[in-house]
Amino acid sequence: MKYLRLILLAVFVMFLQPASAQNDSLVSPEMQNYIGYGAIIAMMLLFLLALLMILRTFKVLTKVILKSQGYTNQQIAAELKPAKAEAKPKAQVWNKLLSLRPLSEEKDMIMEHEYDGIQELDNPTPAWFMVLFYSTIAFAVCYLLIYHVFGLAPLQYDEYKNEVAQADAAQKVYLSKAANRVDENTVKFVSDPEVIASGQAVFKQNCAACHGEHGQGVVGPNLTDEYWLHGHKIGDIFKTVKYGVLSKGMPTWEKQLSPKQISDVANYILSLKDTHPAAAKEPQGTKEEDNKIAAN
Amino acid sequence: MEPEKFYYDNKIVRNFGIATIVWGIIGMTVGLIAAIQLFHPAANMGNQYTTFGRIRPLHTNAVIFAFVGNAIFMGVYYSLQRLLKARMFSTALSQIHFWGWQLIIVSAVITLPLGLTTSHEYAELEWPIDIAITLIWVVFGVNMFGTIFKRRERHLYVAIWFYIATFVTIAVLHIVNSFELPVSPFKSYMVYAGVQDALVQWWYGHNAVAFFLTTPYLGMMYYFLPKMANRPIYSYKLSILHFWALIFIYIWAGPHHLLYTTLPGWAQSLGVAFSIMLIAPSWGGMINGLLTLRGAWDKVREDVVLKFMVVGLTAYGMATFEGPMLSLKQVNSIAHFSDWIVAHVHVGALGWNGFLTFAILYWLMPRMYKTELYSKKLASFHFWIGTLGILFYAIPMYWAGFTQGLMLKEFTPEGILKYPNFLQTTLLIIPMHIMRSVGGAMYLLGVIVMAYNLFKTMRQGKLVANEPAQAMALEPVHTIEREKAWHRRLERKPIQLMVAALVVILIGTVIELMPTLTISSNVPTIASVKPYTPLELQGRDIYIREGCSNCHSQTVRPFRSETERYGEYSKAGEFVYDHPFLWGSKRTGPDLAREGQKYGNAWHYNHMMDPRVMSQGSIMPNYDWLISQKLDTASTPAKIRAMQTLGVPYPAGYDKIANRELDKQAKDIADNLAKDKIKVQSNKEIIAVIAYLQRLGVDIKATKTTNK
Repeated sequence: MKYLRLILLAVFVMFLQPASAQNDSLVSPEMQNYIGYGAIIAMMLLFLLALLMILRTFKVLTKVILKSQGYTNQQIAAELKPAKAEAKPKAQVWNKLLSLRPLSEEKDMIMEHEYDGIQELDNPTPAWFMVLFYSTIAFAVCYLLIYHVFGLAPLQYDEYKNEVAQADAAQKVYLSKAANRVDENTVKFVSDPEVIASGQAVFKQNCAACHGEHGQGVVGPNLTDEYWLHGHKIGDIFKTVKYGVLSKGMPTWEKQLSPKQISDVANYILSLKDTHPAAAKEPQGTKEEDNKIAAN
Repeated sequence: MEPEKFYYDNKIVRNFGIATIVWGIIGMTVGLIAAIQLFHPAANMGNQYTTFGRIRPLHTNAVIFAFVGNAIFMGVYYSLQRLLKARMFSTALSQIHFWGWQLIIVSAVITLPLGLTTSHEYAELEWPIDIAITLIWVVFGVNMFGTIFKRRERHLYVAIWFYIATFVTIAVLHIVNSFELPVSPFKSYMVYAGVQDALVQWWYGHNAVAFFLTTPYLGMMYYFLPKMANRPIYSYKLSILHFWALIFIYIWAGPHHLLYTTLPGWAQSLGVAFSIMLIAPSWGGMINGLLTLRGAWDKVREDVVLKFMVVGLTAYGMATFEGPMLSLKQVNSIAHFSDWIVAHVHVGALGWNGFLTFAILYWLMPRMYKTELYSKKLASFHFWIGTLGILFYAIPMYWAGFTQGLMLKEFTPEGILKYPNFLQTTLLIIPMHIMRSVGGAMYLLGVIVMAYNLFKTMRQGKLVANEPAQAMALEPVHTIEREKAWHRRLERKPIQLMVAALVVILIGTVIELMPTLTISSNVPTIASVKPYTPLELQGRDIYIREGCSNCHSQTVRPFRSETERYGEYSKAGEFVYDHPFLWGSKRTGPDLAREGQKYGNAWHYNHMMDPRVMSQGSIMPNYDWLISQKLDTASTPAKIRAMQTLGVPYPAGYDKIANRELDKQAKDIADNLAKDKIKVQSNKEIIAVIAYLQRLGVDIKATKTTNK
C-alpha cells in the first residue's frame, strides 16, 4: 500500500515537473485534469485492494471457524476447493466463443446434400461473427448520423478551415516569440561567414539548377555580375526570392524556405559578386554601382 | 434408371492453367522492371515503350486479367463441370473463350507500351479491345449458363453462386466504365468528365477488386479447399449470409478511393460506412475456409498445397481488414497516394490471389495428368520463398508509405513545411524501394520454380483430356417436393439467382452513381474555367499516352500541408472539361493540379529532357523522345469535334481553325524557349506538353490570365 502510494506520488511529480517549467502558474488546468485522473485511478485501485483484503479475511475467518468446529486441515482444504473446480477447461470456453461444436458431433450436422463429394455442415454462424457484423453496421449508422444528420463532426472543408485557423494561431504565437524574424524590409546585409555558408547550402539545393553551381547563370540569370533585373539591394533580392517573378520563371520560395534561409541565401548571392565564374551567362538588366549594396 | 455417361473437358482447364503460368511470369517480370525503375530510372533502357508510365498499366493488366483471369477460368471450368455433373456446354465456345481471351491479352501487351490507353486504371485498354472483352465475356457467360442448364445436379453449390455474381457484376462494371466516344481506331474520350468520371472509375476499380479478384476466388476456395483437405464446409448458413452480404455491401465502397476529393461529402461518407460494414462479410469467407480445415490441421503441416491455402486465406483476412481501416478518413489522409496502398494491394494479390492460384495449380495438374507432383521439395521451396517474398515486399512498402505520408504533413514551428521539396521525401524511401524489388524478385523466382516443377509433372504424366464420369439424369421438376428453406429453392433456379444478384448489386450502384451523374447542381461550375486550347488538348493526350497520371496526381486535397505545398485545394468545377479525369491514385512524384505557371517554360523543357538536371536525384525518367517526335496535328479537328459532342463549349466551326490556333500558341512557346537559348521547333511534342502543364490550375487563380 505504501509502495503504491509512493509510486503514484512519483508519477504525479514527474507529470508536474515539465508543467511547472513551462507555465507560470504552478498547476495548469491540464495538469489538474491529470491529477484528477490519477486520483480516480488510485481510488479504484484502492477499492480493488480493499475487496481483495476482504476476500482474504473471509477465507481466513472460514478456516478459523471451521477449525474451531473440529474440522481437520484436509477437510477444510476440501471445503474451500469446490469453488475452483467449477471452472471449465479452457478449450471449451474457446470453442463456445467461436461457437464450435466438438468434432465428434460433426456427423449429426452433415447436411443431406453433397456436390462432387463436398459435404456441408449445418453449423450456425459463429456468435462472435454476428457480433462483429452487427457492431460494424451500428458503427456505419452512427458514422452517417454523426456527419450528415446531427453535424457533430466537421466535413472536409470545415475540417480544413479549423486546421488552418489552428495553425495560423500557433504560428502567430511562435513568431511573436521568435527573435530572428526577418522580412524584405528588415533584412540586413552581413558578411558573416556562418551566414554565407548557410546561404550557400540553401543555394546549392534550391537555386543551382537554374542559376548554376557558382551563380554563373543557366536558365536563370547570372548572379555574379553587376547587372540586375529586379534590384540589387539585399531587400530586393530577399523579395525576389520570397515572391518569385512568375512571368520570368522564377518560382515563389516563401512556402519552401524560412525567412532566415531566404535572408542567408540573399546574402550569399551578394557575396558572389565579381567572382567571375567560368562559363558565365551574358549580363541581363541594368548595371548597378558597387557601393550601393553596402549603403543599404 | 441407368446413370448417364459423359466426359469432363480437362483440356480446356489445362490450357487455361498453362496460360496462367506463362502470363503470371510475364506480368510479374514486367512488375519487377517497373519496381526497379522507381530507384533506377535508367532501367527503362532509354526506351519510351518500356518506361514506367506505360508498363505499369501493362503490369496491372497482365497480372489481373491475364494471370488471375486465366486462373479464374481454369478454376471455374474445372469445378463447374464437376459441381454440375456435366461437360461444358460447348467445346467450341470454350475454345473461342480461351483463344479470344489470349488475343485480348496479346493486344494489351502491344497497345499499352505503345501508349494507347484510356488512363482509367485497370481499364486502360482502348475501345476496340473493350468491345472484344465484352464479346468474349458473353461467350463465357453463355458457356457457363449452358452448362448450368444441362446439369445433372438439382441445386447449385455455393461456388457457383459466386461464379454467377462474378459474371453479371463484371459485365455491368465493364460496360458502364467503358462509355467512350471514339475519335480514331485507337483513341477515345470518356463520356463522363471530372468528378463524375472519377466516381465511375473508382466504382469500377474497387469492384474489379471485389468481383474479379475476390468473388471468383471465394468460389474456387469453396470447391478446392474441401477437396484438398477432404473436409466438409464448416457452415452452409455462413455461406449464404456472407455471400449476399458481400455482394450487396461491396458495390457501395468505391468512393473510399476518393476521400478528400471534390466528390460530394455524402458519397464519400457512404463509401466509408459501407467499407466498415464489409469486414464481417469478407471475413465470412476466410472463417468458413479456415474452419473447414478443423480437424485437418495435421495435414496442413505436411501438405504444401494446404499451406498455400492457409497463407492465402490469412492474407485475404488481413487485406480485407486493412481495407476498411484505410477507408477511415484519418488513416486515409496519411496512407492515400502513398506506398502503403501498394503494400495493401500486394498483400491481397500476392497472398490471396497468387497463393490460391499456386495451390490450385499444384493440386490440379497432377490429377489431370494422372501422376504425382514431380517434386514436393521444389513446391515446398516455392511456398517458403513466396511467403518470404511477400514479407520482403510488404514490410518495406508499409514503412515507406507511412514515413512519406507523415513527412509530407510535417510543419516546422515557423509554419512552413518541414520537407517543402517533395523529392526530399522520395530520396529517403529509396532503400525501401530497393528492398521491395528484392521481395518481388523472390516471389517471381518461386513462380519460375513452380513452372519448372509443373512442366516436369506434365512431362512424366499424360493428360486425360476427356475424363469419364457418370451421374443420374435429373428427374422432372414436378416430381420434386417443394422445399421449405427459401434459399434451397433459389439454389435450384439459376436465372432467378442471377437476377437476384444483379438486383442486389444494382441497388448500391444506382443510389451512389445516379445523383452525381444526373444532377448537374452536384458539380458547381466556375465561370473562369475554360476549355483547353487545341495545343493543350494535344498535350493532355500526350500526358495520357505517357501515363504521367501513374505517378502524378491532379487533385489537391483540403489539408494545410497540401495547400501550402501545391496551392488552393481543388474544386469540382475545375474538372468539367476533363474527359477523362486525371486525378491519379499514387503520388510517386508531386501533385500537378497547380503546376501551371509555377516554373518557366525553359525549366519544364530541361526537366523533361533530364529531370536530374533540375532536381538532383529525381527518379523521373528522361522524356527526350518528346523533343524529337513531331506532334500529330492531323487529329486535332476530330478531337475538337469529339469534345464538342461531349458538351465542351468550343464555338461552332472551331475544329476548322483549331490547328491555326495551335500553331500560333506553339510558336509563342518556341519563341519563349529561344530566349533561354533553347532551340526547338514549334511542331514537337514537347511544346504541347509544356502548354498543357502551364495551363494546369491557372484558370481559378484570379490574379492571372489564362496562358496564351
